[in-house]
Amino acid sequence: MSGPDTIQPPLARARKAIVRAIVASAQPIAEPLVAIFLALVVGAVGITVFSGLLAGHSNFDIGLPAAAYLALLGGVASPNGITSTLNYSTPLILAGLGVGLGFKAGLFNIGGRGQFLFGTVGAMAVATTVGASQSSYITVPLALLAGAAFGAAAGFIPGFLKATSGAHEVVTTIMLNYVFVFVTYWAISGPLSLPNAHQPITADVTARNAALPIIFGDVQHPAYAGILLALAAVPIIWVLLYRTTLGFEIRSAGANPDAARYGGMKTNRLIVLTMSIAGLMSGLAGATTLMGVVQQIAPGYDTTVGFDAITVALLGRSNPVGILFSGLLLGAMRAGSQTMQVQAGVPAELVDALQAIILVFLVVNALRRWLDRRAAKRGSTPSVDAGAAQAAEGVA
Amino acid sequence: MTGKLRIAFSLLAAVVIAGACSSSGATSAPSGSSLKIGVVTDVGSVTDHTFNEYSYEGAKAAATALGATINVAVPADASDYSKDIQSFVDDKYNIIVTVGFNLGDATITAAKANPNIWFVAVDVAPCVDPTGAPDDTFACAGDAATLLPKLIGIQFEEDQAGYLAGIVAAAVSTSGVIGQIGGIDNNPAVVRYMQGFQLGAASYNPNIQVKTAWFSNGDLTKAYGDPVFGKTFSTQFIAQQGVDVVFQVAGSTGNGALDAACAAGIYGIGVDVDEYLTYPSADRCLVTSAEKNVSAAVNQTVTAIAGKTAKGGISKFNAANNGVGYAPLSENTLVTYPSDLQGKLDTALAAMKSGTLPTCPAQCGTWSGQ
Repeated sequence: MSGPDTIQPPLARARKAIVRAIVASAQPIAEPLVAIFLALVVGAVGITVFSGLLAGHSNFDIGLPAAAYLALLGGVASPNGITSTLNYSTPLILAGLGVGLGFKAGLFNIGGRGQFLFGTVGAMAVATTVGASQSSYITVPLALLAGAAFGAAAGFIPGFLKATSGAHEVVTTIMLNYVFVFVTYWAISGPLSLPNAHQPITADVTARNAALPIIFGDVQHPAYAGILLALAAVPIIWVLLYRTTLGFEIRSAGANPDAARYGGMKTNRLIVLTMSIAGLMSGLAGATTLMGVVQQIAPGYDTTVGFDAITVALLGRSNPVGILFSGLLLGAMRAGSQTMQVQAGVPAELVDALQAIILVFLVVNALRRWLDRRAAKRGSTPSVDAGAAQAAEGVA
Repeated sequence: MTGKLRIAFSLLAAVVIAGACSSSGATSAPSGSSLKIGVVTDVGSVTDHTFNEYSYEGAKAAATALGATINVAVPADASDYSKDIQSFVDDKYNIIVTVGFNLGDATITAAKANPNIWFVAVDVAPCVDPTGAPDDTFACAGDAATLLPKLIGIQFEEDQAGYLAGIVAAAVSTSGVIGQIGGIDNNPAVVRYMQGFQLGAASYNPNIQVKTAWFSNGDLTKAYGDPVFGKTFSTQFIAQQGVDVVFQVAGSTGNGALDAACAAGIYGIGVDVDEYLTYPSADRCLVTSAEKNVSAAVNQTVTAIAGKTAKGGISKFNAANNGVGYAPLSENTLVTYPSDLQGKLDTALAAMKSGTLPTCPAQCGTWSGQ
């Protein structure tokens, strides 16, 4: 680089360097932003094309997408929307951090759903057994701990299976999801069910001193303290990843497991530990959801957090800070969806579609980058910079 | 790359501009009154052929007649219940209909916080403590009707629906032995269905034998949520008791009983809603279902609120107000219905409407081993 540059004046060189630095730092943010933007465009096209199917709208109602997105924004900006955004983001950030940690270690944890539900069972078990007899200063931390521990146990199993037998975590976590769905069903309708109920339903956490405190808003628009936990988890996971030996080992194992093993790292132990922490985060997500917005559960209780957390982690590029923002974004979309449906007549399910489209764009990009890397390895692309340029092009 | 981006941007700009011009027209719903009705269903879909769908249909029919605005929220999971109710509260809705037992607590809490909004809780008997808060000990020490005067819990007289199903069962039985299987004998609604079924069957054929069994003594999963167990249990029941019709009163465990009936080559009768629509795998042997007419109940309740004739507390629905009935007799089975059946059903229904036909014993809702 330095050879040909010497003929340029210093100012131009500095300017070039600054531009390069900006582009380099913007690139990891640009890719998710472009994915979100493209998803909104595709969503707008979808709304326009299908507007004729919605009551009260003509075919190809070109104004409907803007009306829908404005209503979505309006919904988020309302008192209900702001507090709901924080409440919905809480589990997405917590579980997203867990999934992101897994990605860093090269592990794909699809077991968030089961870990979330098992964490819910743990917290509910504490609320049911010790809740009524203890003050909330004891019950709430205990229930959170139980949720984290149950989630960690649920994450430990696929980690252990992978470390000992090589069973792929994608397969085992998907299968374990069903196990935990049914364990949860059994627990809610059996041991955790209220004794006098004619239909299976658990106690209300509020009555068992296990409800999370409301940090702002009012009783009708509560923002629960779970968000503080999620906000605290972001720097903790960041420090774990980038400032500890364990984090270095996790990232090394993810980047190149063979090299990590050759370098003397106990990769099996890393796999078990990473999966357990990922499970712990999902379990905590389950506990905070139960002790916040849900309060009381009936058989059939289920969640989409486990899968949404994958989107959150991908959108945040597995970076804890990125996950914080993508968690808030997905939480906000869900919080505003109902207002969008009521005011613009566009089904609330649109936000699910938008999430899916975002995911598709992100995956396409990841695939493109991977193909580029392979091509670069074979020597068909001359430099790493060209690969990065191609990746950037793939974004647009 | 930049070319594509530019096209995308200009497309979006066009959309935004067009939207800004027409958004006022796009959002307004035709409305002849200022009344706004919101429905919060349970998890699932609004076209589930059961309580979600019929509650919404009922509210929609009422809204159409009243010229009111109506909207529905379908929670993705339990974390949406309170927020979805609250979004209707914040948007100044006048009537909020919630569907099913699982939303009971969220509805009671919202009703307590918003005494000026009417709440209609479908299939819920509001159980509150003396302060008007939901009571999960089920002591129900508070009087919901006075503490929460704008909360209406829609309940049904299941015995009347059971009675009609009993008539059909007795009519299609050739052996003179029919069966009914309930979830647990402590649930008054379940017991009422079965008490009505016995009386209805006896009214058609005084010599009929009605065999009764319960899926469980206390395990709620076995009782209402385990179709595999339901089928095993019912297969045994059918073989041992020699019944040729089975009436199920046990949710999804009971659907296993319908499967067992089909497998045994006998007839089944569904419960709560028209199971011909909700449980198609039993269609070939399902003759009818004892039905709660949720749509009519919600429609009438909302209309009464709009007409200022509604009262808080439990609102009972029965044959007199078209709140219970039986699903259309299926033509899809091998059964030939006796020619007198329709007449008997019509007579019984008319007598129920006029209030002259007892369909439940003195201890209505309490099982004492009849």
